[in-house]
Formats: sequence, structure tokens, C-alpha cells
Amino acid sequence: MIYLDNAATTLRKPQQVIDAVVNAMTSMGNSSRGTHDQSIQASMAIFQCRCKLMQLFHAPSPDRVVFTQNSTEALNIAINGLIHAGDHVITSDLEHNSVLRPLYRLEQEQNVELSFVPADKKGCINYDDFEALIRPNTKAIVCTHASNLTGNILDVKRIGKIAEKHGLLFIVDASQTAGVFPIDMAEMNISVLCFTGHKGLMGPQGTGGLCIADHVNIRPWKVGGSGVQSYSKTQPAELPTALEAGTLNGHGIAGLSAALDFIAEVGVDAIHQKEIALMQQFYDAVRQIDGVTVYGDFSTTNRCAIVALNIHNYESSAVSDVLAVDYDIATRPGAHCAPRMHQALETTEQGAVRFSFSIFNTEEEVKSAVDAVRCIAQQQ
Amino acid sequence: MAAKSYYILFANYTHGLALQALLKREGLESRIAPTPRAIQGELSCGMSLLVKEEHIEAVRACIERNQAVHHSIVEMENQIQPNRNRFC
Repeated sequence: MIYLDNAATTLRKPQQVIDAVVNAMTSMGNSSRGTHDQSIQASMAIFQCRCKLMQLFHAPSPDRVVFTQNSTEALNIAINGLIHAGDHVITSDLEHNSVLRPLYRLEQEQNVELSFVPADKKGCINYDDFEALIRPNTKAIVCTHASNLTGNILDVKRIGKIAEKHGLLFIVDASQTAGVFPIDMAEMNISVLCFTGHKGLMGPQGTGGLCIADHVNIRPWKVGGSGVQSYSKTQPAELPTALEAGTLNGHGIAGLSAALDFIAEVGVDAIHQKEIALMQQFYDAVRQIDGVTVYGDFSTTNRCAIVALNIHNYESSAVSDVLAVDYDIATRPGAHCAPRMHQALETTEQGAVRFSFSIFNTEEEVKSAVDAVRCIAQQQ
Repeated sequence: MAAKSYYILFANYTHGLALQALLKREGLESRIAPTPRAIQGELSCGMSLLVKEEHIEAVRACIERNQAVHHSIVEMENQIQPNRNRFC
């Protein structure tokens, strides 16, 4: 089987991740719930993971690294905890539903106003649009670091400067870039960085979180057990406890911590270079095949290792199904939870077949995928 | 006179583990322990760092020097002899 759906989740994890999860599941107590060895082991493993994430993303301190189940939960916490009735938010056409749906709900239920920076047919934006859309009641810019559909990157440092200039909160969805691109919260002026653990970070599913800049105060959306301040009627105010009601996924976080060690050993730049080389090999070949349409901006290698395409006018789901059944190649078809980006690319009806590469893919696998696309395109 | 221990209290485990890591880096001894109910106050339950009397001044200086996050430091007389026969 050739797995090319790494933008959905990285299937192949470093062996040390698997070992760490197995070890945690046979030895770990509940973190923040006691001081016997097993509980402290859990608390320590989670604390160490916070420290590694703090270093990776240049977060202010370990206690401002909050764990969640995934990016969607992190984005819900950030958006619902910071945006209030009457606020105006600027976002983009590149967004995933994990950004769009929380914003649409606030629009419907709390009269929050939304503006979208439009994307062109290549999925590119004009950065001046962010500044042009600012109103007196603009509270925040919420946007992705990279499109999960095309792999196009947004220049978050540039957007962060606009947010800083106008005193806006800047919430970034790093689902596709964490672990693959250097992210510096301080340099990029990011107020809240939302990430998932199971994609580029190569950790287990059910891990993710948010890193919160100093002086950003997010109202918790869930409250409950914390292991501390048990007689208080309210959720403890101190981070990370304020936003982490309930038992954490300690087993998963132990795996994520091991994955962060792997990334530190190999290097974010080396991982990105390997993935981009595989993507380029695939793109250079498929773009020359008659009947293949590739979407997105490939004028730069400063992008995620994603190639979205269609073959003739075939249903993208049918193409992906043939790839899976006849060629044993895993891809993702359909709408990719990015409705506005499909509108921009004019692929709302057809969807697109997404090939996404990881450090563990090989040139031989890419060649097989190219051959499969060629065969399907030639079967008229 | 009974020996004294010093409990450093925290709002949460993350703050406690961060201070323990700092003390360890500076070669200062501490041990994670459950917080005695009598001194929990509004914190109620959670972990503390237990520091022996002979180390507490160095620990206080370290906290001051690094502006380390913590709730308070509470002195307590030891109720149980640490060298007791554990099977008695």
C-alpha cells in the first residue's frame, strides 16, 4: 500500500512514538491527580511535552501550552473564548471548516461580523486585502498557515505585522504546517497558535493544542475536573488548567513528546525539504499528463507537500476509489472541508483528488502514483 | 523540638513541575509531595514541593532570583518521623 494522504493524518509514525505510547499505557497514572510515582510520571511526561512545544513554536512559557484533542477543538476554544457579540473578524477563503464553522456560528448566534480575504483561481490572496477589510470593531484575524486543499502557504509573518499594527488578535490554524515549517509565535506576532498532533508532528490522533501569547486571556468553554483547587466553584484561572478540564490524553501526549524528539533529531527544514522534493517529483510528472488539471500555486517551494488534481471531468471520488482498489494508493477525494477554497478553484462540483506526502514516502512510491494517474488519464 | 519541612504550593501541577525543573538545574533538592490539607487554603488539593529546612533559604533565593511562579511557601512541623519503621 502506498499512503499519500498525509495531510489527513500521517499513517507512518516514528517507532519511538509507538514505543512511547505502549510504555505510557503500561505505566502511566493520571496526571495532576496525585503525587505517587505513576501520577507524577504522567504529569512529568505532559510537562516535558509542553516544554518541547514551547521551544518548537517559541511560546512564552510551558503553562501557556494547552492540550486539546485536535486543531478543531483548539480553534473552537480560541475563537469562542475571544470573539464576542458585535465583534468583526477577518478570515480568508483558504480556511478549513474548523475555522469557518465556529465563525459562522458566531455570525448566526451573536451577530459577529465576518469578512473574507478572497482567493483567486490559484488559491492565492492579496495581502493588502487584510488591511483594507479592517473596521473600527475588528477584533481579530483568524486564518490558516496553509491550505489543506492546495498546500498554498500564507505569509503569517506579514499578516501578523498587520494585526500588530492595528492592535488585532491573530489566531493561526497551523494544522498543515506544525512540524514541517518553522513557526515563531513571537516573531510572527501570533496571539493563539492552534495545532494538531497527528499530522506533521507525527504524534497519535487525539492530541493537539493551542499556544497562547502573554496577555491573551481566553474564557474557558468547558469547566470541570482539574485535580487542583477542588473546593472552588469556578474553574481555576491559571493556565494551562483553566482550559484543560478533564483528564488529558496522557498516553497520546507521551507519544507526541517522542514525535517531537524525532522532529528535533531530523530537523524541521530537513523534513520539509524531503517532502517538497517528493511533491515536486510528482507535480513535474503529472502536470504534463493530458487530461490532468493541477490546482494551487507551484511557483514556489515555500508550500506544503500537497498536490490536488482532477483527471478529465471524472468524479474525484471515482478517481480516488480506482487508485485505492486497483493501485493500492491511498488519497483523499471530495470537498476537503474547505468549501470557499473549492469555490475559488471552481471545483465545488467535482471536488479534487489530494496527494499529500510525508518524510516516509519514497521516490519509488511517487513514481508508482504518477504511473497510476497516467493510466487512469489514458483510459478514455 | 520537631524538625520542620517547607511546602511550596502552586496553582497547578505545571507551575510546580516548572519550579522543580529549575531547582534541579540549580542543584537544589526538593521532592514532589501531596499538599497537607491543613495548609491548602483556597488551593485545596494538588501537589507541592517539599523542601528540607537546611535547603529552604537557597530555594527561596533561587525563586526570588528567577521570579519563579508559585503560590506560597508554608512552614510545617513534621508530624511523622521520616525514619520510622515503615512496617510497624
